[in-house]
Amino acid sequence: MAKFMFIYRNSEEVESMVPTPEQIQELMTVWGEWMQGAASHGAEFHGGDGLQPGGKLIDDKGLVSDGPYVESKEVVGGYNVLEAESYEVAIAIAKDCPVLQQGGNVEIRELAGLG
Amino acid sequence: MRQAEFMQTDDSTQLVDHFCRHEFARLIAALARKFGVRHMELVEDAVQGAFLRALRSWPLKGIPPQPGPWLYRVAYNLAMDHLRRDLRWNSVASAGSVEDPSFQIEHPPYCEDEITDSQLRMIFACCCDEIPRESQVALALKTLCGFGNEEIARALLISEANVAKRLVRAKQRLRSLKFDPNALSVQDFQARLPMVQAVAYLLFNEGYSSTNDDRLIREELCEEAVRLALLLAEHPWTQGPRSSALLALMLFHASRLETRLDESGRMLQLADQDRSLWDHRMIAEAGRWILRACDGEPTRYHVEAWIASEHCTAKSADDTHWDRIVQAYDLLLKFDDSPVVQLNRAIAIAEYSGVAAGWQALNAIEHQFRDRYHLWTAAAGEFAYREGKLSEARRYYERALSLTSSATEQTFLRAQIAKLDTPELDPAKPAQ
Repeated sequence: MAKFMFIYRNSEEVESMVPTPEQIQELMTVWGEWMQGAASHGAEFHGGDGLQPGGKLIDDKGLVSDGPYVESKEVVGGYNVLEAESYEVAIAIAKDCPVLQQGGNVEIRELAGLG
Repeated sequence: MRQAEFMQTDDSTQLVDHFCRHEFARLIAALARKFGVRHMELVEDAVQGAFLRALRSWPLKGIPPQPGPWLYRVAYNLAMDHLRRDLRWNSVASAGSVEDPSFQIEHPPYCEDEITDSQLRMIFACCCDEIPRESQVALALKTLCGFGNEEIARALLISEANVAKRLVRAKQRLRSLKFDPNALSVQDFQARLPMVQAVAYLLFNEGYSSTNDDRLIREELCEEAVRLALLLAEHPWTQGPRSSALLALMLFHASRLETRLDESGRMLQLADQDRSLWDHRMIAEAGRWILRACDGEPTRYHVEAWIASEHCTAKSADDTHWDRIVQAYDLLLKFDDSPVVQLNRAIAIAEYSGVAAGWQALNAIEHQFRDRYHLWTAAAGEFAYREGKLSEARRYYERALSLTSSATEQTFLRAQIAKLDTPELDPAKPAQ
């Protein structure tokens, strides 16, 4: 088994949307079902969290600036760690990720450490 | 019922139905009470912010073991941060340096009973003479039920812009009244209770009436109304025969909600509904509440609950005690002599004393049906049909069809017209 980090990105528009409580619950349900679905691939999500908007950037001169600081229109919204057999499995799971339905994307990176 | 609703399910990956909507409303009430209704916008922003944070975190990290207190803490902190910033700004502006000591309060605990109390206070805050009734209903849906503007628009069949306008007006009134929910006395509660009951009743009717074609939102409105009525009927400040009768009436009607439409979404008449599908547990619950409603003066809620209970407890359409229902409608007229009540009475009379007597009652009220004439003509069509006057029935039904814009009602009327074309049916004995 290997560990993969899933990094979720959304467009700024999606990030700044204000859904109604009912829509929030729907979104949570959709995500919950997707994460449960990893089990059918013999994989499992461990830890992760969402990220608050904004942030700080410290450069090599020690200058601190406020986010958003990336040129790209996309914002990292959160991350998870998935334990799965292979990249193929991780990709298969990511293809159903709810973030894609909102026009966002998932980056998958294998963790370098062992176990 | 209340316990189950507010608790999380055993499965920690799932929230109970409408958890967010209800928790949203509960937090608004709790924080409005802490910070004052004059800070309503701040409170709404804070609660909204807490939910956005939950939306970021929970799907990826998992739902916390106690989602309600989690949201409460976040919302409370957001509101406090905002107030402190305001305060610092104001104190700089006025060259003062002392922070308001009232903002040093300890983090308040998340207390189930206290939140219920807060919600009740909030309901009473929304229902005052100074706010127009239509705004009260919009405000109630927003702050008490956690509906979004778009959902309110769908529920009340008005535009989103109109919803926003009503809400702004209501909140301005609330602010200008300098209303403090904490200062409500027992007398205030007593004085405002009928108005609060009327708003709950209105919510239920918006959901129950067939004019809105959006089935989902209608069922949700009914659920919300039942939830408010339950709160009123159970809480020591507001319980009493009127509140019990109101809840009973809603439960009786709600027990039949699912069977009013067939699989294809077509409206079914009472006689055509499958009574085995009625929610008999809910009917029994309604029966218990009607018993608790018995001591005290009868109100329109009592009478309406009585009528609904006659329908709900009849084994079949043929077993319905139409004599009692006519009696009940006679009594109801004393509280409400609106055309719709009169129309329903005429239909009951036709069942009990025959179509000729029904016609008499129906003709007597025709002039009262200017704006909702399709209801009258639909009833007239039904009466003509029962008398076997098929072409007359067709004329009435077609007239009604041309007068209503509700798709649900149109489908129903078209089905009635189609029935006229079915030769194997003996029109003198319409299908039960």
